[in-house]
Amino acid sequence: MDRQLVGVQGEELAAQYLEGLGWQIVARRWRCAAGEIDLVAVEPADPPVTVFCEVKCRTGLGYGSPLEAITVAKMAKLRELAVRWLREHRPRSDVRFDGIGVLLRSGWSPLITHVRGIS
Amino acid sequence: MSLATAWSIGLVGMRGVPVEVEAAIGGGLPRTVLVGLPDAALYEARDRCRAAVACVGLKWPEQLVTINLTPATLPKAGSHYDLAIAGAVLGASKQAEVSGLAGSALLGELGLDGRVREVRGILPAVLAAQQAGLRRAIVPWEQVGEAGLVAGIDIVGVGTLSDLVKVLRGDRVELDPGDATPAPAESGQPKDLQDVAGQVDAKWALEVAAAGRHHIYLHGPPGAGKTLLAERLPSILPELEPAAAIEVAAIRSLAGHNLANGLTLLPPFSNPHHSASVASLVGGGARMALPGAISLAHRGVLFLDEAPEFSPRALEALRVPLESGQVTLTRSTAQVTYPARFQLVLAANPCPCGMSTTVGAACKCAPMAIRRYAERLSGPILDRVDISQHLRPLRKAYLRVTPAESSAQVADRVRAARDRQARRFEGYPWSANGEVPGGHLRRHLTPPDSTDLLDRAVARGQLSARGVDKVLRIAWTIADLAGRDRPGKSDVHTALMLRQGQDLGVVA
Repeated sequence: MDRQLVGVQGEELAAQYLEGLGWQIVARRWRCAAGEIDLVAVEPADPPVTVFCEVKCRTGLGYGSPLEAITVAKMAKLRELAVRWLREHRPRSDVRFDGIGVLLRSGWSPLITHVRGIS
Repeated sequence: MSLATAWSIGLVGMRGVPVEVEAAIGGGLPRTVLVGLPDAALYEARDRCRAAVACVGLKWPEQLVTINLTPATLPKAGSHYDLAIAGAVLGASKQAEVSGLAGSALLGELGLDGRVREVRGILPAVLAAQQAGLRRAIVPWEQVGEAGLVAGIDIVGVGTLSDLVKVLRGDRVELDPGDATPAPAESGQPKDLQDVAGQVDAKWALEVAAAGRHHIYLHGPPGAGKTLLAERLPSILPELEPAAAIEVAAIRSLAGHNLANGLTLLPPFSNPHHSASVASLVGGGARMALPGAISLAHRGVLFLDEAPEFSPRALEALRVPLESGQVTLTRSTAQVTYPARFQLVLAANPCPCGMSTTVGAACKCAPMAIRRYAERLSGPILDRVDISQHLRPLRKAYLRVTPAESSAQVADRVRAARDRQARRFEGYPWSANGEVPGGHLRRHLTPPDSTDLLDRAVARGQLSARGVDKVLRIAWTIADLAGRDRPGKSDVHTALMLRQGQDLGVVA
């Protein structure tokens, strides 16, 4: 399977999963000069929480679980991108970072792992 | 979030401290962190445990695993926490029985294939576990024998991580006896005093040294038998008491010796080469100091052959342990104290060519060279040595003399003398004349009618205040060997001669 296709598929599944939780997807693959945020969603709460999601998708466990691929450097990048996004959109909400791992093994139904508050 | 706790033992020198290993799973991205002052070798435990768990078909949790070692202030070193870490993680992830972890000390290093490997210091660690009230110790299979020397605690051996899971579940572990490689027996024939021809006076001096645990200095030309005699000293020493034998075994265990053969009652014999560094003699190491040769000679013999060839720094480092019977080593992270109550045996030639004291031989050394050679053994060190014995080259006649006494015969006399001392010193922390503090010696043990001889020696500057005590100690030992209740004038005289060595002509 094409690598980019895996990523797109993972993000799609993650978005569906979050909508299933009742969250509102605000942006997908939001791009700026510094890079790209996979998903930005709003969790309904009081006050609402803007959640920046890093989605990792893998087709097997040979290199470890998908979430293990989120390194310190990637977290720093995500924080930097989030600041840029917040500066542009200025939402009235709290902010959180989540990690979503999607495991797409052939013959298995996709397995989604959601870890809240990863920074 | 799920949590489990296992126990291990942290060693600070000989002292063991129970260390609680907590594992918490959950609450973040999958990664494993180890907190609680681990050193580099211990931090690697994380990766070893992970590989070992995977290799035996169990699962390392794909979540944030936090492993904490408490007390966090105690610096922890070494690889023996592996088993406790793996146990706690398996317990927290519900792959092992948590109830099995309670009250058990887990000690052992893990191989990447899940094998449980031997570690240093099992004996002192299990001793500490027993004293801390833990009821079971789980140790590497090969070291069950060593751990079993400690009474009052259950010992379970495990060969692999799967065995550990079984043990925690409460199952019996069937170990293939082929797994345990029996250690080779202590090599070589026991050295016997019978092998040494002649040197009757030197043998007697050695007997006195053995009977009273006196330090002895043997000097003489090359080939006279200094090394032969010194190596046979352990064979005439009494066997170790069980408590002392455990203490000796604990030090050997810390130094990484194999104790699979069980407790040895033979007094230890340590003979470092003269190139030894200070650290190798007194103990050393960067973060946590390990025992050195003097601690390995604890309750036994430290033999320094060719003593003048040792570096002066190494020799002077022996001064304090000689007096205090222990050595305290301070490093940035911890201060450790090892026992070092050894009997010192020095051997030396009188000059670089070795012939200067031999009648009829030609010494090739300049007077200054002889003097400089003698000065390498400093006064303070020689003053701490009780007996000074000169050996002369053998005359042909000695070789024809009927076989000498065997070690067993001499050992009998030594044991009898030690028994007398043990009765006299009952209730005191010392057990031999050589260990009696000067104050006790002068207050309770002074022979009444003999001090004028000593006074004269002191007045002539031949004897220091410490020397007087040493002479009295030797006099008591001679009396003990002869079976007399207290030393008489002749015993003090003989003791003075033993103490002064070759200068005896001047004393009389």
